[in-house]
Amino acid sequence: MEKSNCLKPIAISAYSAVSACGLGNATLLAALLSNTSHLAPLTLFELAFPTQVGEIKLPLPGIASALEIYDSRNSQVALAALNNPEDGIRQAVEQAKKRYGHERIGVVIGTSTSGLYETESAYGVFLETHKMPDDFHFVTKHAYQATARFLQQELGLAGPCYAISTACSSSAKAIATGQRLIAGGVCDAVLVGGADTLCRLTLRGFKSLDLIAEQACRPMDRERNGINIGEAAALLVLEKITPENAHLPRVLSVGESSDAHHMSTPHPEGFGAALAMENALTLAGIKATDVDYLNLHATATRINDQVENTAVYSVLGDQVPCSGTKGITGHTLGAAGALETIIALLALKQQFIPGTAGLRQLEADCRCHVIADPKLNQKLKIAMSNSFGFGGNNACVIVARGEGHA
Amino acid sequence: MHESARIYIKSAVMCCPEPELLASFNMPCLNVDNNLIPAAIRRRTSMTTRMAITAATKACQQAGVNTALLPSVFASLGGEIQVTDALCRLLPLAEALLSPTQFHNSVHNTTAGYWGILNQCQAASTAIAAVDDTFAMGLLEAYTQLQLAHGDLLLVCYDELWPQYLAPPIGQAACACALVLSTDRQQALGSISVPRIKPIASPLDEHWSALVDAVPAVAALPLLCAINTQQPAVIPLNPKGNIWFTEFESC
Repeated sequence: MEKSNCLKPIAISAYSAVSACGLGNATLLAALLSNTSHLAPLTLFELAFPTQVGEIKLPLPGIASALEIYDSRNSQVALAALNNPEDGIRQAVEQAKKRYGHERIGVVIGTSTSGLYETESAYGVFLETHKMPDDFHFVTKHAYQATARFLQQELGLAGPCYAISTACSSSAKAIATGQRLIAGGVCDAVLVGGADTLCRLTLRGFKSLDLIAEQACRPMDRERNGINIGEAAALLVLEKITPENAHLPRVLSVGESSDAHHMSTPHPEGFGAALAMENALTLAGIKATDVDYLNLHATATRINDQVENTAVYSVLGDQVPCSGTKGITGHTLGAAGALETIIALLALKQQFIPGTAGLRQLEADCRCHVIADPKLNQKLKIAMSNSFGFGGNNACVIVARGEGHA
Repeated sequence: MHESARIYIKSAVMCCPEPELLASFNMPCLNVDNNLIPAAIRRRTSMTTRMAITAATKACQQAGVNTALLPSVFASLGGEIQVTDALCRLLPLAEALLSPTQFHNSVHNTTAGYWGILNQCQAASTAIAAVDDTFAMGLLEAYTQLQLAHGDLLLVCYDELWPQYLAPPIGQAACACALVLSTDRQQALGSISVPRIKPIASPLDEHWSALVDAVPAVAALPLLCAINTQQPAVIPLNPKGNIWFTEFESC
């Protein structure tokens, strides 16, 4: 078997995000270009402490009655991304079905809490009545693969279908799995991405760790003091590269690593984070100087941003422009890897470098090249996106423009 | 990549706190061994993590692999379901404070995280879930990872006891299965082909199918039985829906 350190690039035939910025890539792009925060007080449920969140306030589409056992906020948000005609995820999957057959198309979705929001309400009933409500279907609403399985059923697909759940790196790793399933010949196309929605457990859990910011977060700022939770669905259709789709943007690689240090605190020297970036560069067959933009994980906790700065500087030096966009969308947890990969794709498409909303004064010892305000009219070919999760689970995605772009 | 490319099995271990569960399959299995886990980690981890780590540690010892360099795939339907259940019982109380340790121990990759810390392993680790297909998809994920990189890889499939008001009969008993897989055939116990969906040639063992409904990691049992008996066989990897198979051959 012929092996090399490089992976084959994979075409991205469609991508779409739903977030606090609104429905579809156009709303996300507008928020990025204006560098406007979409964080606001939570309205979805009661919370005993003040914070801002990236909440989706659109009316969400209903789940078809034949699939109502899958009905959850998580699946509804994913369906909104699937159905948005401007971005064409559903159309791309239908075309892939015609081209390759439904059994050759996989679905791999990252999530940290899946349909937990509904389960929390069910527990409220359970504690009072000692019985779960009749519409409680743990496996199809709450369990990790619920949204992946919903999308598979909704689209009539029959290939591999699973969830990746590695906390905040989940959907970056779903992209890695999609690339491997295609490169290994198991699938011809894979619907990948992430979906995570607001719920009490994550808000109160991060509060218990003293990591929740009361005001809008300030990534990489010297006065940063915590995160804002957001929600999103971000989907991408991956396919083999052919002469017909060679002009489309592509996934070059996803580098993965583990910190082996602590469950909720990153390695102080950022070894794991640096290793994920180095692995991504190796698998893509490119050098640090080839990277035109890095979307940072930049959650805006004291330690995370400091460690990421150390890791980025050690791998990319001080020349690669980087920015963090969680001041716009909030930290969308298991969806963040795919959402921020889409942000990197929008940067490539529009040839701009997003800013870092919330950043006023850069941390004094910050050595990487952090961009505060969006920079237009750039020349970008290759972009990178970092995602780091609990359990010391790290992933770094590299995407590139397709062929034929000046 | 050719469909004929094979991945080798270097070791396979079952860990089940109720060994009588598997008695009729003639399958040796271990109990959870807390002595394998240092006290500092033992105190912080759930039974499911200690069970999965027991199976993984024994499988790695048998295979003689360096755990500090080993990529891993953790496949579980419910993961830390008992930790999540305890937290969900607190959430209806608006003022209840959650334990930060319990919160970070509720993520699906908790076992993967502790395994990495325990073994000082910075290699990639993933955590997946796929209901009835969890073992099948775990094996597929492991297979495709190895296809693209030389070496060894740890696959652990596990689920603990579930509260029976969630999704009965899922989780009626706890069980973990660990396999060390490799692209290297030296000292292998056998090899497998790429997992794929095939029409069922003969009916699946009903006793096994029913047991997998209640104890998801038992999905690995037909493969482990084939390894034990060294019989070449077409092995089902999940009990219902589209059935995934792999072809086992002895070495």
